[in-house]
Amino acid sequence: MLEFHQVHKTYTTPQGPLNVLNDVSLRLAAGESLALMGESGSGKSTLLHLAAGLDLPDQGTVSFENQNVASLPEPTRAKLRREQLGLVFQQFHLVPSLTVIDNLRLQARLAKRDNVAWTDHLIERLGLHGMEKRYPEQLSGGQQQRLAIGRALAPRPPLLLADEPTGNLDETTAGEVLELLLSLVRETQCALLIVTHSPQVAAPLDRCLRLSHGHLLEAAL
Amino acid sequence: MTRVLSTLLSHYRRHPGQLIMLLLGLWVASALWSGIQAINATARDSYARADALFDTQLDQLERRDGMPFSRAEYHALRQAGLPVSPMLKGEVVTQDGTRLTLIGIDPLTLSNDNALAQANTSASLSDFLTPPWQTRVAPDALEALGITRENASAATPTLADGKTLPPLVLAPALPPDTLIMDIAAAARLLESGDQLTRIVAAPGALTEAPPGLTLTRATTLASPGQLTESFHLNLTALGLLAWVVGLFIVQAALGLALEQRLGMLRTLRVLGVSGRSLVLALSLELLLLGLIGALAGIASGVWLARLLLPDVAATLGSLYGAGIGQELNLPWHYWVGGLAVSLGGLLLAGSGVLWRAARLNMLKLGQMQAWRSGYRRQLSLMSIGGAFAMGVALALYVWLRFQSPGDGLVTGFTLVAALLLASALWLPPFLALLLKALTHLARRRPLIHWALADMQLQLPRLSLAMMALLIALATNLGVGSMVGGFRLTFLDWLDQRLVAPLYLNAPAEQYADIDAWLADRPEVFERLLTRRSDATLQAATTPEGSRSIGTPIELYGITPGESLTPHWPLLATQQDRSSAWAAFSDGAIFINEQLATAENLSPGDRLTLNAPGANETLTIAAIYPDYGNPSGQVLMASPQLAARFDAPPSSMGLVLSDEADVDTLRATLLERFDLGSDALSDQREIKRIATEIFERTFTITRALNALTLAVAALALLASLLTQARSRRQQLAPLWALGVPRAQLAQLNLAQLSGAALATGLLAIPLGIAITWGLVAIINVAAFGWRLPLYLFPGEMAVTLATAVGVALLAAALPTLRFWRASPRALLAEEANQ
Ligand SMILES: Nc1ncnc2c1ncn2[C@@H]1O[C@H](COP(=O)(O)OP(=O)(O)OP(=O)(O)O)[C@@H](O)[C@H]1O
Ligand SMILES: [Mg+2]
Repeated sequence: MLEFHQVHKTYTTPQGPLNVLNDVSLRLAAGESLALMGESGSGKSTLLHLAAGLDLPDQGTVSFENQNVASLPEPTRAKLRREQLGLVFQQFHLVPSLTVIDNLRLQARLAKRDNVAWTDHLIERLGLHGMEKRYPEQLSGGQQQRLAIGRALAPRPPLLLADEPTGNLDETTAGEVLELLLSLVRETQCALLIVTHSPQVAAPLDRCLRLSHGHLLEAAL
Repeated sequence: MTRVLSTLLSHYRRHPGQLIMLLLGLWVASALWSGIQAINATARDSYARADALFDTQLDQLERRDGMPFSRAEYHALRQAGLPVSPMLKGEVVTQDGTRLTLIGIDPLTLSNDNALAQANTSASLSDFLTPPWQTRVAPDALEALGITRENASAATPTLADGKTLPPLVLAPALPPDTLIMDIAAAARLLESGDQLTRIVAAPGALTEAPPGLTLTRATTLASPGQLTESFHLNLTALGLLAWVVGLFIVQAALGLALEQRLGMLRTLRVLGVSGRSLVLALSLELLLLGLIGALAGIASGVWLARLLLPDVAATLGSLYGAGIGQELNLPWHYWVGGLAVSLGGLLLAGSGVLWRAARLNMLKLGQMQAWRSGYRRQLSLMSIGGAFAMGVALALYVWLRFQSPGDGLVTGFTLVAALLLASALWLPPFLALLLKALTHLARRRPLIHWALADMQLQLPRLSLAMMALLIALATNLGVGSMVGGFRLTFLDWLDQRLVAPLYLNAPAEQYADIDAWLADRPEVFERLLTRRSDATLQAATTPEGSRSIGTPIELYGITPGESLTPHWPLLATQQDRSSAWAAFSDGAIFINEQLATAENLSPGDRLTLNAPGANETLTIAAIYPDYGNPSGQVLMASPQLAARFDAPPSSMGLVLSDEADVDTLRATLLERFDLGSDALSDQREIKRIATEIFERTFTITRALNALTLAVAALALLASLLTQARSRRQQLAPLWALGVPRAQLAQLNLAQLSGAALATGLLAIPLGIAITWGLVAIINVAAFGWRLPLYLFPGEMAVTLATAVGVALLAAALPTLRFWRASPRALLAEEANQ
């Protein structure tokens, strides 16, 4: 469903061009889960942003369901993100002006796929029951990230993209949140592309790739 | 300390925009304020100089028949032992066409404690008294004479008629448009032969008027300073408004600069800088910025004043006959005061910042949660404060009702200010409630729901700017409606008064002949003869009893008849219009509103009038509006007036039949009675001149209003720009969730214009209230007459459109920046947080 074909990405920096992705090709099938690892600054977030259509490659193509993302006009790309993708970031990116329940349902509502039974279920699973009327800043870090995960999964997207979803959490909390994320992914049967530093996270997944000097390598665990 | 200060200031190197906003706010606030104060100071200086002149400091004798005195009459008075002095007054025209007042005096007989004596320091008396004489002149008048200040001394400029002035001597204490010289020199320049304009005496030197003459006491002459007081108060109020609005910008910028430096402040505290030295450093920073902003502001204020001064001078000249110098004249306390007001304002705006810095918690980061409830507390404080201000406004209103009319000028302005303050304080709670209700309603529309919820979060930072916008909009509407209403009323009133198409101004003794000749002309439908005379209102008899008064008034005669009577507006009558006019024709009087207000008179009261020729007690039959007239007026039927007092004819209106040939009539009249070409004036011409004066009067008001609105727009832009970064960071995740950028940009604009629209809607009733305060309270207090309250739906629509326009204009730049920022960069910005 997601395919990178000979993708190049270069940033212009004050120190000259910075080649981040070099001839990267990748395929992710429906329901498949994939871990992306690599050093800090190796270009993992860049790759994820390209996958989400938040950015476009300089060369090569990124396609979703056999559609070249770069060929789509911005509103269509936005629609794709809204309806087909769930995004979870290291910073939780919750909307501070909305309550927990409104945050949870935001993307589902935008995608016109708001399902009360499912969101109720999600609230239970996320352990946020009874906190629906709170505002994000009234939650702990772990709760906030669980809420962000719930928000991404509320419209039941076919693909979840997560960029170091536990990078901002302490070890115990990180473990709990990750476990929850993986079990929800299994429950919704969506595909998963997760950026992580942790081999433990990568272990249960179908595949693991490593970015190094702009190249993508299949990594053995 | 310098280390701490430079660390603090380093923030502005990274955020120059904030520094610019801060200085801009200070600059605008102090520029408008000091500009207006410069105008006021200059005007006050001119008044002081005019006051110091003979006109208002000497008792004056005039002939009952209004004719000039001859020298012989003066000598006769002197020989009778009266301490009088002669005066000659006329006009000279300079080569550039400027008219200057020329006053000839006799310093030997003139009492010594007047302006001349003060101006007479350097030169000896004999130089003044003997040929080639001297011309005393204020430096302001040099330009009109075509002379620079350096070579002014002893210069002898030539006038338009080719005569030369006696050698100049500078006398800064003189009014700007007046030349003073010995009476002999003045007589030569004015070619007045042995005529004298006036005979004057030191105040109180004469116990009574010599036979055949009227004596006007100096104390009864209103000085221009009193008359124009309300005008200057008005200007000051507008200046204060601009100052407040400018400080809103400062407050917004300072708040943001502090918020972004909280981390830095905490670090400094942790590193061992004491709280006290931190506050001290912040105060020093404020002082430094304040000095820069205030100096720049005062400099541009002076420039602004120079720009506006000609219009102000024209207004005051046409409204009150007060002469204002065209050159700024600023005393030292103006500069100190301007600096103090700017710095004081800065301290006011910055006190919150200092307070927060002083109570800085070293460990805890400013948490959203605490902040959210903090804002809720702030909202309820605002509601309470607003209620308090409203209570003050109501109390003032009640108090004013028990006050004798004419006394409430300052109270009136305070009432309007309290009203403005109450509304401004109520605005944020009102918007918060509105947003809450709307958010609830829009639950099913996710984006609108988000936009409304997000607006609630933005409100704390926007509320100051919105308050400024509300105030600016409301005053704009209020003043606009007042001016518009005044305009309508004034033009209507002109129409009612100027019923004849042609007006004749002839020498007083010719009217009888002209009248007789016109009586036989078939095309002349009616002849409306007016007469006038100065009089003294000696006493009034009201139901409460008699009291003596003694104010000078104007006695004016009109010809009631078919053309005039149906149109002449009356505000109050004893019974009804027709009986009022019937009584009028039989010798009853009408009085103008300002006289009724000032002396608390109503129809039915009886007035004792002392005018040349008689002393009569007459009954008031009605009160009529008399817009723009600063003095009290008593109206009588012309024949009745002529029968009782020596009131010479002053003009005659000619009502003509439809088929009358105006041009022929005019030509015949001029030729037959050997009249000057300006003896006949067209009604339309008179109206045009009156309207022109009117428009000019409100030029400054309009200009200042527009400036205030511009400042409010700037305040809004400032607060939007200062929070643009955090706004973009809040929008970026939404974009990542799949909301197209165009839609986000539109929502952003819609949010702000919606809030502005709500503010505009609130500004409409507030504006109406201000109009009411201006026409029904302040105007009555200032001028003694009440304006009818007119509402202009067009103005209201413009107010709403302006509100939205200002919001869109202010939001355009931040929105454009968001629109152009690469979305990836937005997320990166977020990641950097
Ligand atoms: N907008 C940009 N302009 C210029 N350079 C950028 C930009 N965004 C990222 N880079 C650079 O590209 C490289 C890859 O960045 P990226 O964020 O993809 O790394 P990463 O693998 O996600 O690192 P981390 O594990 O620290 O999150 C880094 O060296 C970064 O400095
Ligand atoms: Mg990264």
